[in-house]
Amino acid sequence: MPNKHVHELNPKRTVITMVLFVVIIVIGLVTLKSPRLTYTLTPRQTLDLVSSNGGSVHPYQLDAVLKGTIDTVILIDIRNKFEYSNGHIDGAENISAYDLTNKENIKRLKELKKEEMAVILYGNNQLEANGPWMVFRQLGFDNVKLLLGGYQYYTLHKNDLAKTKDDKSYILMQPDYNYSEVAKETASPGSDVKKETKKAPVIKRKKKTKATAGGC
Amino acid sequence: MNKNYLFLAILMIILAGGLLILPERTNYTQINPEDLLWDIIQPSRYVTTDQVAKMLIEQDPTLELIDVRCAKEYNKFALPNAINIPLDSILSPNYSDYLGIEDMNAVFYCNDDILADQAWVIAKRMNISRIYIMKGGLNCWIKTIIQPTPPPETASGDEFDQYDFRKGASMYFTGASISAPKSDSKSQVTIKRKKKTTATAGGC
Repeated sequence: MPNKHVHELNPKRTVITMVLFVVIIVIGLVTLKSPRLTYTLTPRQTLDLVSSNGGSVHPYQLDAVLKGTIDTVILIDIRNKFEYSNGHIDGAENISAYDLTNKENIKRLKELKKEEMAVILYGNNQLEANGPWMVFRQLGFDNVKLLLGGYQYYTLHKNDLAKTKDDKSYILMQPDYNYSEVAKETASPGSDVKKETKKAPVIKRKKKTKATAGGC
Repeated sequence: MNKNYLFLAILMIILAGGLLILPERTNYTQINPEDLLWDIIQPSRYVTTDQVAKMLIEQDPTLELIDVRCAKEYNKFALPNAINIPLDSILSPNYSDYLGIEDMNAVFYCNDDILADQAWVIAKRMNISRIYIMKGGLNCWIKTIIQPTPPPETASGDEFDQYDFRKGASMYFTGASISAPKSDSKSQVTIKRKKKTTATAGGC
């Protein structure tokens, strides 16, 4: 075998190729592009977090923050500059939702996390800040919190925040109406019909997918 | 045999073992956090109650309404042809077939926006496309569609048109237009769709 001859004649060659090989792999590993931000919570954990209402701040809890009795909290207004300059919670910083994942802001949030400072995000309403808050919780910033009621509720109760403890009007997810009553109004048989049709597709759909699985 | 060969072989095996560790970053199927935040900011992820009403009346076959409230609330009242996927079980494999169906626009709704938004964020992270939120939820549905309020006299013509539409929709949805056969044909449409996709799947 001519190959064997070559190697036998130059044993150093093997060493050289070996070293090159290792060097290439090491370079590859070092330069491997790792994503800048990674999720630390699984979707399941995120789901448990949001279902448990963890990480939300009630408006009355702001009272102590604004009076300065709690100074380990930073408020971040995620609305745009225009809305911020039209009025914001005292002492809040403005980082628009568009810029939240910028390098500097992520760095800042990491520092705040190290210093064990809580960060409260707020938008005009709870919904506006809900998404960004969920993103940051999923990225592992467990010091990030969400202000219930948002800026709108704050402006209504600016002067008596402490008294809003018993007010539940900012708590969402509740039905404002008795839906079935309101929707019935004229025709009652309609509701029975609806129920039937609702149940039917669920069963049918499932059967179909099973069939697909078998086909493959 | 040369020692070097042996060493080289062992090295290769070790490196190959190293490759096994690498793919543990299972982010491939998930959307990048930056993109997720970007998508969250876009107002296009919302649909209005008017749009949903219009699609329901026109029997748009691409509409897939998903009620993310608990089963108890769903059984009391739900939008026509809505599927119930409680937020808790949105990740359960039983329901995964309902999400990300080709050509279907999944619209999440709850009492207001929050549950639907939470479901949306999680579904989006799993890289499911064509998902939307019905803005305002059922509270807004009742307020705008079922019990529409007439616009002030100074309102624009568009607003009056919208009000007329809502009045008609209100009659349609409260049962004035006994919609039993219609909803039957609706479910048939969705079944047909499903068949098509299964056929494609079998083909490959």
